[in-house]
Amino acid sequence: MKKLLGILGLFIVVFGFTAVQNPKFISAYNMENLLNWTGLFGILGVGAAFVIITGGIDLSIGSVVGLVGCLLPLFIMDHGVPVPLAILSVMLIAALIGLTHGLLITKLNLQPFVVTLCGLLIYRGVARFITADQTMGFGNTHGDLRKLATGKLAIPGLTEATKFDLPIPFLILFILMVVGAIFLDKTIWGRYLLALGRNEQAARYSGIKTDRLTIMSYVICSTLAGFGGIMFMLDLNSVQPSSHGSFYELYAIAAAVLGGCSLRGGEGSIIGVVIGMAVLRLLYNASNLLGIPTQLEFTIIGAVILAGAIVDEVAKRLVHRMRQAKQQR
Amino acid sequence: MNHPLLEVRIVTKYFPGVVALKQVSLTLEAGEVLALIGENGAGKSTLMKILAGIQQPDLGKLFWNGKEADIDSVEAAMELGIALIHQELNLADNLDIGSNIFLGREPRNKLGIVNRRIIREESRKVLERVGLDFDPRTSLTKLSIGQQQLVEIAKALSMNAKVLIMDEPTSSLSSKETRRLFKVVKDLKQQGVSVIYIAHRLGEVKELADRVVVFRDGQNSGELAKEEISHDRMVQLMVGRDVSQLYERTPHKPGDEILKVTDLASPAFPDAKNNFSIRAGEIVGLAGLIGAGRTELLRVLFGIDDAVSGTIEVAGKPREFEHPRDAIEAGMVLVPEDRKGQGLVIDWPLDMNGSLPGLNRHLKQKAFIDKRNEIETAERMIDDLNIKTPNRKQILQFLSGGNQQKVVLGKWLSLEPKILLLDEPTRGIDVGAKEEIYHLMDKLAAEGLAVLFVSSELEEIMGVSDRVLVMHEGKVTGELARSDLTEESIMQLATGQELATAH
Amino acid sequence: MKNLLLMAGLACLVGITGCNGNGDGGSGAGGTTGGAAEQDEFGPIKTGSVGEDEKPTVSFVTNGIASFWVVAEAGANKAAEDVNADVLVKMPAEGVADQKRILEDLLTQGVDGVAVSAIDPSGQQDILNEVGENTIFITHDSDSPFTNRCAYIGMDNYDAGRMAGKLVKEAIPDGGEVMIFVGRLEQLNAKLRRQGVIDELLDREPDSSRYDEPGKPVEGEKYTILDTRTDGFDFAKAKAEAQDAINKYPDLKCMVGLFAYNPPLMLEAVKEAGKTDDIEIVAFDEEDGTLQGIVDGHIHGTVVQNPYEYGYQSVKMLAELARGDSSSVPEDRFMNIPARQIRKDNVIEFWTELNQLLGKEPPEGAAETSKKEGE
Repeated sequence: MKKLLGILGLFIVVFGFTAVQNPKFISAYNMENLLNWTGLFGILGVGAAFVIITGGIDLSIGSVVGLVGCLLPLFIMDHGVPVPLAILSVMLIAALIGLTHGLLITKLNLQPFVVTLCGLLIYRGVARFITADQTMGFGNTHGDLRKLATGKLAIPGLTEATKFDLPIPFLILFILMVVGAIFLDKTIWGRYLLALGRNEQAARYSGIKTDRLTIMSYVICSTLAGFGGIMFMLDLNSVQPSSHGSFYELYAIAAAVLGGCSLRGGEGSIIGVVIGMAVLRLLYNASNLLGIPTQLEFTIIGAVILAGAIVDEVAKRLVHRMRQAKQQR
Repeated sequence: MNHPLLEVRIVTKYFPGVVALKQVSLTLEAGEVLALIGENGAGKSTLMKILAGIQQPDLGKLFWNGKEADIDSVEAAMELGIALIHQELNLADNLDIGSNIFLGREPRNKLGIVNRRIIREESRKVLERVGLDFDPRTSLTKLSIGQQQLVEIAKALSMNAKVLIMDEPTSSLSSKETRRLFKVVKDLKQQGVSVIYIAHRLGEVKELADRVVVFRDGQNSGELAKEEISHDRMVQLMVGRDVSQLYERTPHKPGDEILKVTDLASPAFPDAKNNFSIRAGEIVGLAGLIGAGRTELLRVLFGIDDAVSGTIEVAGKPREFEHPRDAIEAGMVLVPEDRKGQGLVIDWPLDMNGSLPGLNRHLKQKAFIDKRNEIETAERMIDDLNIKTPNRKQILQFLSGGNQQKVVLGKWLSLEPKILLLDEPTRGIDVGAKEEIYHLMDKLAAEGLAVLFVSSELEEIMGVSDRVLVMHEGKVTGELARSDLTEESIMQLATGQELATAH
Repeated sequence: MKNLLLMAGLACLVGITGCNGNGDGGSGAGGTTGGAAEQDEFGPIKTGSVGEDEKPTVSFVTNGIASFWVVAEAGANKAAEDVNADVLVKMPAEGVADQKRILEDLLTQGVDGVAVSAIDPSGQQDILNEVGENTIFITHDSDSPFTNRCAYIGMDNYDAGRMAGKLVKEAIPDGGEVMIFVGRLEQLNAKLRRQGVIDELLDREPDSSRYDEPGKPVEGEKYTILDTRTDGFDFAKAKAEAQDAINKYPDLKCMVGLFAYNPPLMLEAVKEAGKTDDIEIVAFDEEDGTLQGIVDGHIHGTVVQNPYEYGYQSVKMLAELARGDSSSVPEDRFMNIPARQIRKDNVIEFWTELNQLLGKEPPEGAAETSKKEGE
């Protein structure tokens, strides 16, 4: 909860500062864009959070985004697969990727870092190979399908002047966030995931089937990466097999960490991750609108995340010390 | 005038919000073995940390050979000759013995290259002093815990330590290793080395110590000279009350056979086939040396490791346990040896720990956690087991070891098990909590629970068990009824000898 | 209406790729601007209403980060000075998604005009059209012909490719095995340059719509193009690709680098393999390493675009349009900034001029060499 307030505070500070500096920032157009990007990337972040909470890591998210982005138009445009079937198959492929990761990590005891790093390389290569490096896209077809990512929902009751449309990807993220948060905080499996992340042995000794849960977390992560991949593909309508989705795993992980997930596992909130991703996108947007040289973009983002991590750690120590003091009394 | 080697004069140490040491004074003579006893949190460790330079006193002074000494760092303590042997050993097990002894102060030649010859020669000398006959090039992994501890002592000696501080040195040693450690301590004493030794096994104190200092609530609560040392006196000073009822028992009426194992072998000892059974309502002690395969056997019973061979029957039905969940469903639960690593999610609050195994049972409402029930379960556990905690949200790492152990017990008891497996249930917890746990075991057995418990403390095994199984090299080698229990009979079986009285 | 046009354009494209044996179909196209040239009428040119004394703000968006774009940036800045405008030069680091974000942010800011080098001309139409709807929009370097852009400033990449092909012919007149290296083949300019090189070496009729699949060798009478290797703008990989090619094909005679950073890395690899005498290099663009390689005789020659002019002309045109003046937009909406071949004989002159433009010292080694040559 404290972590949530921290990240929310950071969001408000950056938001307020940018709004004061450049009033265009709060234009409906810009806000819609910001929400859209947050929605797209946030889907990946939610998936990453599940794996990070179990103490794992998934470095293959970006490559899954790339692979799915290639497969969907390949199926639909080149092989004439009906749209629903195509979407179902690519989601299934993504889920199978997650299942493979989970099995390798639990049954063969391979390190998640290694397994998913190899995944990163493998799926990227596969994507490039099956497309022969050709840019993939729908051209001008399938406009309706693309609405899933590019569409916007008009908020009723607003006049032309205050018109604001909610991008569908953000709406989807919002639903995912609510479902994910309930899952993690209220269901027994969510509790199990947290226990597993905190202390895998203690969880197992308490009769929790930890292997199954670990596998589930990787399946969730890859499936959401696959779903995000579909959304990115539909939004951009232009997929470069060699670069589409590159580094997205790092944004997902950064947002998860920013949102209160500990890479040691056992800690994290889905809402935090979504706000974390919003902060990340906000920083991009703000550094552009504030006229910060593009070259410094990464520096700004890195510095803000680092500052957040430092403040968080210092705060945690203070709380810990106070608690200990109280305890010893 | 003769000064003591080391003197602590009216030292007070504050921690935020608490006084850890209140005007404590202490002296130590050269060549003296001083035992320091007291319940957990009584201030023993804090005082030792002050002597070793890890912490500094807020008030009071330290004297070395009659001169005021400012021990403001570990280096300063070592300079004087004070070395602390930690409870958890501080050795690098990827290195060999010699490298560990000289870690961080390797002798170098002119080129700055480590001189391995000097390391070997010097290491041999100190290893000899602690009675270890190993080549210094031996990898540390080949050594038992007890031998590693001796290496740590050797390391201290190589730094010319005149005072060795040992924090519960025997807590993870078998009887044999304990014997050896004691011999080393006695030898060192002959050589003029002083030892301050924080003891948790009172039985050892009389044998080893020249003098006992007792701590309670951060204060010096009493001192016993060699001839005054007795178990009851020590306990009395420690807890401030009479504990003749420590092992008080109610009569148990063993019922039907509830657990039966046939030819059961653990992966650690694939050829040792075990056959035994336990009845409802009895407490069975599982004795043996460290490494005798007791923990391994419990792990197989609980479904953590796969059995190499054999069958397990619960209440007459053959069962296969591939996962702890299977064992739990059959009504068998385990309080593991490693409380913080396996028993609890230590940085979680009490209530969430208490509910963990019950989430898929009585605490489940469709897919969701029955929050109200979870709270009730926690509150009931706190009341029933007399857990000392400010509230049910308390993070467990801030509770004492005894109260932590009660949470482990409580989380299992909420499932109403039929068989309770306990692995060193009283390790590292104070006398008061020990007593409560013994009484709890007694009460549970009286209510018809079958209890199988592993302990390395003979006193405890003899005090609590209705019956004792003794293991040697992975196999249950003998069984002793309560009436036949003596230290000698258990140790004979544990070391693989035939019982003198048998047949 | 716009949709109709787009559909027509797409059909046209499909038609071309569908029957590339038919020379007449696209021969008039003559390269990048092919699609646009076939359109009978163009939409109206969008202009702004910035006053003569006011400073318009325009943006110059690249397709990535490279020294090539640093030169263009110099041109853009110079033009901004000359025509009294503010210019924001934006270089997306991470492909399509990044470029989209940058364009959105520019629209939020409300700039008076945007010049874009399209990363994916067909896939990015939505966002590019969005730019065109909200502000003055032109393309440079890499065109997206079926959008509502007012003009395209660039060179004919297919012709440039053929120029490079001619350099290869000069370098290895007896023929042999050739490898092509490029950052990304998804980009139209990369495709066209590559095709130009191949078609020239095989002495085919000019047809910019032809496309030989990469991955299999293209064999001509004298020349064989073994493969085209891509590196995704990863410099380490670019060098490794060159090394692998040297290793894999002992008879390799010539390497062609289509993107600016490729040739210096190729040259490094060739030098390390000790094969400077065996393998010729033909380059694109004007990296210092490339030019030095030409001076030293390790690189036969390079085909240079004029990024400085891209930047300069883009900003100048945008500023003029913003002030309501559309006179600089050519009839066919294509401002050709032709490519040039640089060989050993004119490299010093070119390099000195380039450094002058960038405000750098004249090349040192180059000056000495030229002196020696003069003696």
